Amino acid sequence: MRVSRRWHVRAALAGVIASVVALPLLPASADESGTPSPAAGGTAEKTVFTVGITQDVDSTNPFTGIAAASFEVYQMMYPTLTDYSAADFSTVPGLAESWEESEDQTYWTYKIRPGLTWSDGEPLTARDAAYTFNRVINGDIEQTNYGGYTSTITRAEAQDDTTLILYVKKPSPIMYQLAVYILPEHIWKDIDAKKVKSYKNEPENGESVVGGGPYVLIERRKGEYLRFAANPAFYGGKPAADEVVFRVYKNTDAIAEALRKGEVDYANDLSANVFNSLANTDGITTVPSVYSGFNQIAFNMGAALTDGTPIGDGSKLVLDPQVRLAIAQATDRQVLADKVYGGFATPGTTVIPPLYTNLHLEPENQVAFDLDAANATLEAAGYTMGDDGVRVSPEGERMSLRLLGRQESSESQKVVEYVKDWLGQIGIDVNVRIVSEDTLYEKVGNGDFDMFEWGWVVEPDPDYQLSTFTCDQRSTEEDGTIFAGLSDSFYCDEEYDQLYEDQKLETDQAKRAEIVKAMQQMLYDSNAYVVTVYYDNPTAYRSDRWTNFTPQPNPDGVLLFQYGTWSYQSIEPVSADSGGSTSSGGGVNPALIVIGVLVAVGLVMGGVLIGRRRTSDDDVE
Amino acid sequence: MSLIQDVAGSGGPDPVPGPPPLSRKKKGSRGLSPGALFALRKTGAALGTLLFVLVVNFFLFRLLPGDPIGMYTRGRNVPPEQLAELRAELNRPALEQFLTYLQNPFASTIDSAQFNRPVWELVTERIWPTLLLVGTAIVLASIIGVWIGIKAGWQRGKSFDKVSTGVTLTLYSMPEFWLGMILLIVFGVGVFGLPGIFPIGGISSPGVDTSTLAGWLDVAWHMVLPVTTLTLVYLAEYALVMRSSLVDEMNEDYLTTARAKGLSDKLVRRRHAVPNALLPTITLIFLNLGFTVSGAITVETVFSWPGLGLLSYEALRGPDVALLQAIFLLFSIGVVLANLVADLLYALIDPRVRS
Repeated sequence: MRVSRRWHVRAALAGVIASVVALPLLPASADESGTPSPAAGGTAEKTVFTVGITQDVDSTNPFTGIAAASFEVYQMMYPTLTDYSAADFSTVPGLAESWEESEDQTYWTYKIRPGLTWSDGEPLTARDAAYTFNRVINGDIEQTNYGGYTSTITRAEAQDDTTLILYVKKPSPIMYQLAVYILPEHIWKDIDAKKVKSYKNEPENGESVVGGGPYVLIERRKGEYLRFAANPAFYGGKPAADEVVFRVYKNTDAIAEALRKGEVDYANDLSANVFNSLANTDGITTVPSVYSGFNQIAFNMGAALTDGTPIGDGSKLVLDPQVRLAIAQATDRQVLADKVYGGFATPGTTVIPPLYTNLHLEPENQVAFDLDAANATLEAAGYTMGDDGVRVSPEGERMSLRLLGRQESSESQKVVEYVKDWLGQIGIDVNVRIVSEDTLYEKVGNGDFDMFEWGWVVEPDPDYQLSTFTCDQRSTEEDGTIFAGLSDSFYCDEEYDQLYEDQKLETDQAKRAEIVKAMQQMLYDSNAYVVTVYYDNPTAYRSDRWTNFTPQPNPDGVLLFQYGTWSYQSIEPVSADSGGSTSSGGGVNPALIVIGVLVAVGLVMGGVLIGRRRTSDDDVE
Repeated sequence: MSLIQDVAGSGGPDPVPGPPPLSRKKKGSRGLSPGALFALRKTGAALGTLLFVLVVNFFLFRLLPGDPIGMYTRGRNVPPEQLAELRAELNRPALEQFLTYLQNPFASTIDSAQFNRPVWELVTERIWPTLLLVGTAIVLASIIGVWIGIKAGWQRGKSFDKVSTGVTLTLYSMPEFWLGMILLIVFGVGVFGLPGIFPIGGISSPGVDTSTLAGWLDVAWHMVLPVTTLTLVYLAEYALVMRSSLVDEMNEDYLTTARAKGLSDKLVRRRHAVPNALLPTITLIFLNLGFTVSGAITVETVFSWPGLGLLSYEALRGPDVALLQAIFLLFSIGVVLANLVADLLYALIDPRVRS
């Protein structure tokens, strides 16, 4: 009896061991034998550049997608009239080779490159551009993503194949950079207003999606990956990488491991730890990458509706500019950049990050970290120190403030703790609360806060960012429900609003930059935001396979997820056969797997049979 | 997760002693056997539960505060008219929305606020990977788990029992995402100079046609690590429950009787002890089947598996009320159906239940 049972166990163990041993050997031997993997589709000479992303593209239809990755996909698939240069974000030719505002400022003329075709060979002309703009202008769903760009345009007209006219209500600098993806009319004319919302714009029956950008979409598997093929018809010439793949992972750690292993060639948004661990890996190059995002401590400067009706329960203390100044003086941005962001950030000043060299202002009268000065500021403004180490306002109110941090960001949670500590040293008691971003959004919109930590990613066009400080962007009320506007500081200043309107109408880019800088100085002096840091986008890529990335801006900017497709156009495989191996790390020889499985099954069966025979012998006994 | 003893003890449905004697007398006139009556009653209860869920689901998520549209469009240049339009559906009176919802909770016109697409389209895209992953794991885990449980229980105190109980207890108490990460590091990334053999994540390699044999093998290869993780965690539970219920049975008189009749130890185990001891385990397996749809959120995240887990997490952001509603409805249907099947199956294998 005993013997039999042992045999069972032994047989099963043998089987398990056999399968465990057999399986690992398979892919390794497949790699060694150099057999073309199924991942490469049997075409080993193809070069595939694989990018790891954490958020899947929600839709490949440029009218319905909203995820950040989706816009990266759209700019690969479709051209825009103009582009932001890789060097410094200035306007450079895209589909249009030149552009001009009319003397009377009522229309703009764009000269479209002649002789272009879509990826299916149909001509790509000014008529496609006119069709796209008119569709957005007169559209409904179409407005969601692009309405912000077309609000001043009344109609579009193609005079001939190379001349596009856009008529405008008012002069507007946005006409330099219309981020509207030009779509092929011969495809989209069949997708009417009703169909557009559910139109997937995905490859069908092996046919790629017709496009005009550097790459065309050839395959999409939701939640898994997107595959693109180089578009030979692209006006900038066919890119060097035959295919680009966006592969979805659910966290950046997984992407980092995939990069180490060679499943992907590019990973960004890495944590400082992961970045540092990748830095010493052979074949991988790491770059901190200057990014266009900033984080801030914001104050409730008098929450109100657009009509001026006060809302919320913000503390009166932060209404005092001297209190905000003292808090700014007590915030050590350098320490935050070094300790919280692991050095992958620089201390912040204004709301337009310095990578926008043409627009960023290094403000005058900069506030330096100085706790003594902060104490002096409060003392001079009449806030006297109480017995418990907390100051009391001239009105007799104890200086106690609420500070909200974000659950989604570990950095945010650390920043608020640092700030709490510093403010404690100048006699301000801080109650920290960590909430989810949607709760924070809700609380801020209702004005139920004193201070919070959050941030913005700033587009190259400053309009949107500057609008978040206008009186019109304060909250609105509808049927008793308060809806947040873009403003989260409730900053409201007539002079600022006037400057905002001025820059909106100024089509001389140098003059506009002057206005934008004046606005930054106003915001800086008001301390509506204490801009804590401009954070980097730590990036790593397989430099043993790919080279010649184009940073934006030059030389320290991001390599991908740019305003434009510069790197996709410029990258090259390091050597002829290195690029193709990208996804073969994910390949296994199926024949070997089958053999392995058969061997494992055979062993298990054999073991069980032997065990059985013994058992029945026992039973007979 | 409750204690093992609890699972074992309360695993089965109420051992209701069937219909009262009165109805039994009328059996002939009604034309329904007690078994059918039992099935009808259980099905009715399940339908009632579903209806309740349908209603509660709707109002529960509307209690959540927030302006999802504002949240989703933050940082994007959306004209105010467009914002108002996007908000229109959520701003309708709750009762009106409820009536539309009741007409057809599965209607394709219900859009996710976040993705601006029909919710059921989103859900059906994600459901198959989850079913494949968790389904495979449950089947494997129940076979292996029950086998281990029987072996261990029958040889209580012997070395196999000691080792297997130790191992299963360890596995049972192990967080599945942690186990997943360990497996991923060892077999996916590779340690001590060994190459990583299995993929870091996903369900297939880009460019592989999954309708071919090579494609199937590619998917199977991607499944190895996540399925192993889930199987190890699930089988621990099954093995422990199976073992403890078999141990309970072993002291019963009927086993002594069976042995006295001269039956071999193996026969006593297979024909007498195991069938009785299987009851709580089967219930547990079927209850767990209900959770296949909700998936293993953490395991899906570790292995970047494109299933329902992440979608439900994403739906909470905002919150995306319509999407949450759809997902929870689906989860509830899964659990209620699995419960019903467990109930009916229980009646089938244990005559005492339907008497």
